[in-house]
Amino acid sequence: MIPYLNMKEFGKPLRDSQVKRAQESVARMNEVMNEIEAEDQRIRDFGLPVDLVHKRGQQTVWERIEYLVDPGMFFPLHTIYDPEHEESGSTGVVDGIARISGKWCALIGFNNKWIAGAWIAGQADNNLRVTDIAKTLNLPLVWLVNCSGVKLPEQEKVYANRRGQGTCFFRHAELEVSGVPILAGIYGTNPAGGGYQGISPTILLAHKDCNIAVGGGGIVGGMSPKGFFDEEGAEQLIDATRHFKQVPPGSVKVHYDETGYFRYVFEEENQVLDALKEYMEGMPAYDPRFFRLSEPAEPKFSPSEIASIVPYNQKAGYDFDNVLARLVDNSEHLEFRPGYGPEVYTGLVMIDGFLMGAIGNRQGILPNYPEYTNEYNGVGGRLYRQGLIKINEFVTQCGRDRIPIIWFQDTSGIDVGDIAEKAELLGLGQSLIYSIEQSKVPQMVVILRKGTAAAHYVMGGPQGNNTNAFSLGTPATEIYVMHGETAAAASYSRRLVKEKDAGRSLDPVLEKMNDMVQHYYDKSRPMYCAKAGLVDEVVHFEKLRDYMVAFTNSVYQNPKSICPRHHMMLPRLIQSQIVTGLDRPKKEE
Amino acid sequence: MEEVLAPMPGNIIEVLVNVGDEVKEDDELLILEAMKMENPICAPADGTVKEIKVKEKDVVEADQLLVVIE
Repeated sequence: MIPYLNMKEFGKPLRDSQVKRAQESVARMNEVMNEIEAEDQRIRDFGLPVDLVHKRGQQTVWERIEYLVDPGMFFPLHTIYDPEHEESGSTGVVDGIARISGKWCALIGFNNKWIAGAWIAGQADNNLRVTDIAKTLNLPLVWLVNCSGVKLPEQEKVYANRRGQGTCFFRHAELEVSGVPILAGIYGTNPAGGGYQGISPTILLAHKDCNIAVGGGGIVGGMSPKGFFDEEGAEQLIDATRHFKQVPPGSVKVHYDETGYFRYVFEEENQVLDALKEYMEGMPAYDPRFFRLSEPAEPKFSPSEIASIVPYNQKAGYDFDNVLARLVDNSEHLEFRPGYGPEVYTGLVMIDGFLMGAIGNRQGILPNYPEYTNEYNGVGGRLYRQGLIKINEFVTQCGRDRIPIIWFQDTSGIDVGDIAEKAELLGLGQSLIYSIEQSKVPQMVVILRKGTAAAHYVMGGPQGNNTNAFSLGTPATEIYVMHGETAAAASYSRRLVKEKDAGRSLDPVLEKMNDMVQHYYDKSRPMYCAKAGLVDEVVHFEKLRDYMVAFTNSVYQNPKSICPRHHMMLPRLIQSQIVTGLDRPKKEE
Repeated sequence: MEEVLAPMPGNIIEVLVNVGDEVKEDDELLILEAMKMENPICAPADGTVKEIKVKEKDVVEADQLLVVIE
């Protein structure tokens, strides 16, 4: 294939001195990842021991995923997500982007090691995030259903509410209405909510021992309560439970033989997964060559070097272009408006042979900038007028050319003060949100280091529910509205003045200020971000490209709209440098 | 001869080279703290560090001479 775009090499090799100086920083970040990986393992070990699951004739959800997915092609998300502090420390589902039989999908399965895959607190939000991915990327959704229904002692945290568990069934319907198929492999006992988890997908593939039902034995027994339990009521309940244990409602005898809901029923666990693989082969997908503009190629510099470039120290500068050069094909790019808005990078890159837009905060000193003031100098990581205008233009053109976008955030916010207000930064920030929303191209964001203030929103943040498919953190990620020290100063400076004027000790106020700094620190670290869902997953720097490749292939698998490469304007705009225009060819002598 | 100047006012928080050190283009020479960020100041070209005009904790002005590389 002849490359369509004449991209330029960028990035520099790492120097020995750089690697040496980064050693401590790399060690600190490895500690962060070790802590997160230990939490992942703790969640996997929680609940029923694996051998007991096997004795029941089942596999764990992780074993099912391992068998189902093409080797090495599962990119987990929400691994330690636990927004409601559930006792398992999880949301009871395992999910991510996956490739099955060569086709990409959003994959989610119930953790049958923990109370038989019950609906637990925080799960509805996780499920909606996964359906968001399917919706944004127009990907099939694959469910491994094994759900005992609501965790009854905590039903108030699970069942109702605007974005409660039932919302997921409306979302399934919404996906189907918009043409997104949902495949389900169904195992175990799935009463009530579990029944709707089973019935709401498009294709239902059943294991012989599974059932899906409006209610289970316990629910039927409780249908006509006296308002209390006595011995007579207990006997009735015992009878009802024994009966339904023998004949569970909604077994394959009913939903295969009678209603025909189940397409197929299988004797073995893995046969259900084999059927899912077969169905996945038939999912709508373009051959990748339809969209590829070049042959896939690895970066010239290894992604494993990024940990030596991005410092753990939040104040330390680094070269963002050197990071990006380690993530994109051939370490090549076409930069959009270089020199204008120097605090941000915008440009076109190739990922696995597909054209993508990349946007990221640059770091370092910006002398004689921004152009709207001589009162102070600019510094990378902050957004100024030119940078916001440049990103607005770039995102708008990506929307026009149907080019998906990958964002990289390391931002301390948008410039503040009256000078910045006069320069229209508040309005330009919201203009960028408008540009992102109207672009309607799928996007992902990497919070490379700092995600701060409104810049966290406008730099492709996860708040863009209709465009952002998912967000990744790194071991250097910190997300907060402002730095803890800034927040403490803002909250307590007047109080300090009061105490000082009254001749009182400053110690009690200082203690509160330091508590606030610590609170901000604790609630912004990668572990917290992953637990609270501020990012969808925290990954090693060296894994970023793998997720980018998965995202890119997913976006281009079956996009809802197409721009032919020869109709794209952005490459032409870049090559003409927008303002100066192309040089006229020299006349031959 | 290459003169490395401070790009903006700030504090020198670390000097990473000694007089006589061989440096390559883009090697970090010192760290300048400005606008709450620690910014590496890098060698503009390959050469030998001939003079270091500042030390740690020095406050520098914009365009002040920091290092001379030969």
